[in-house]
Amino acid sequence: MRHHEERIELEAPLSGDFQAVVRLIIGGIAERVDFAFEEIDDLQLAVERLLAEAGQVGSVRLSFEVGEAGIRTRVGPLSETAVADALRDGDVQPGQLTLRRILQTVVDSFGVEESADGRIVVRLEKLKGVP
Amino acid sequence: MSTAPRRSLVPERAREEDRELLRRYHEGGDTGAREALIQRHLPLVRSLARRYAGRGEALEDIEQVGAIGLIKAIDRFELKRDVSLATYATPNVVGEIKRHFRDKGWAIRVPRALQELNASMSGAIERLTGKLGRSPSIAEIADELKTSPEEVLEAMEVGSAYSTVSLSAGAGDEELDPLETIGDEDVEFERSEHRAALAPALNRLAPREREILRMRFEEGLPQTQIAQRIGLSQMHVSRLIRKSLTVMREELLRAPPGTSP
Repeated sequence: MRHHEERIELEAPLSGDFQAVVRLIIGGIAERVDFAFEEIDDLQLAVERLLAEAGQVGSVRLSFEVGEAGIRTRVGPLSETAVADALRDGDVQPGQLTLRRILQTVVDSFGVEESADGRIVVRLEKLKGVP
Repeated sequence: MSTAPRRSLVPERAREEDRELLRRYHEGGDTGAREALIQRHLPLVRSLARRYAGRGEALEDIEQVGAIGLIKAIDRFELKRDVSLATYATPNVVGEIKRHFRDKGWAIRVPRALQELNASMSGAIERLTGKLGRSPSIAEIADELKTSPEEVLEAMEVGSAYSTVSLSAGAGDEELDPLETIGDEDVEFERSEHRAALAPALNRLAPREREILRMRFEEGLPQTQIAQRIGLSQMHVSRLIRKSLTVMREELLRAPPGTSP
């Protein structure tokens, strides 16, 4: 997103007790690049919903690449069946809210990468000042 | 001295209308009737919620929790009961609100200064959004409130620290004030204007929450615009979105495989 990017990494338990800590850290990182209140909230929501699909057992790694234009977040490795199913581009019934639909709304782009152990890492990109 | 029989505070016609709607819902599975009952009794929820205002929790949030109690009461009402829905719903609504305060333990865990900062943030965000024509940054909010960005972030987290409210938990069994068991008078309060946006996966949410989700994820409206349309603060819209998504997911997990939630 820019020539020089700062990188922050974090490993956190998946249990709900630590979700508030993750949110706070995302807020702190996003504040440093002057994200608007609403943009911070969007990114926090994206990560929160992703972690909700990932279960409550074990831990998860999060990395944040912070540039002038925005933040690229990677979450994983995650269980492929749980999260990939939720992200699948399938038929969505009217009124149904899938993880995919939520991410499409709150981040500018997202994608799935394969980790070394065959599991998946979800990449989220949130740009600054994009309506 | 003879005493005249106590006149019910619920107009007979309103009570009859409620019973008809309850019959349609419980015997015929008419979800539109359920929706109408929710709308008719939201003023009762509001009046009960107001009794718990000023305890460090936004009134809108208390109303939201109370609405869950109302929905449970409607779902559980037994037609053979010789009692008005308002009377039956009141302890459910109050129980839900009390449980919320108890589960959250707000007053115990959160320092007063952070509670106050959280309470003042909503107004600051509205002022700045109006002034700047966009959602403000954390630094701008901190400037406005003469505090540090870190404290603003902490206060944001305080506001979002909700306990999850189950839609299928038991009714409130807490001790009630005598006044709280009398809800009949409240059916005369103003009627809600919230429009129901029925969609299968969202049916467990209150109409306002469904409408907010629809605007956010179907129309793609930003929170600021939703807040303006609904007449809530942006912070409150944010909290309702998060809470609604959590509730929906829990309901999906609870639903037996192959069934629609």
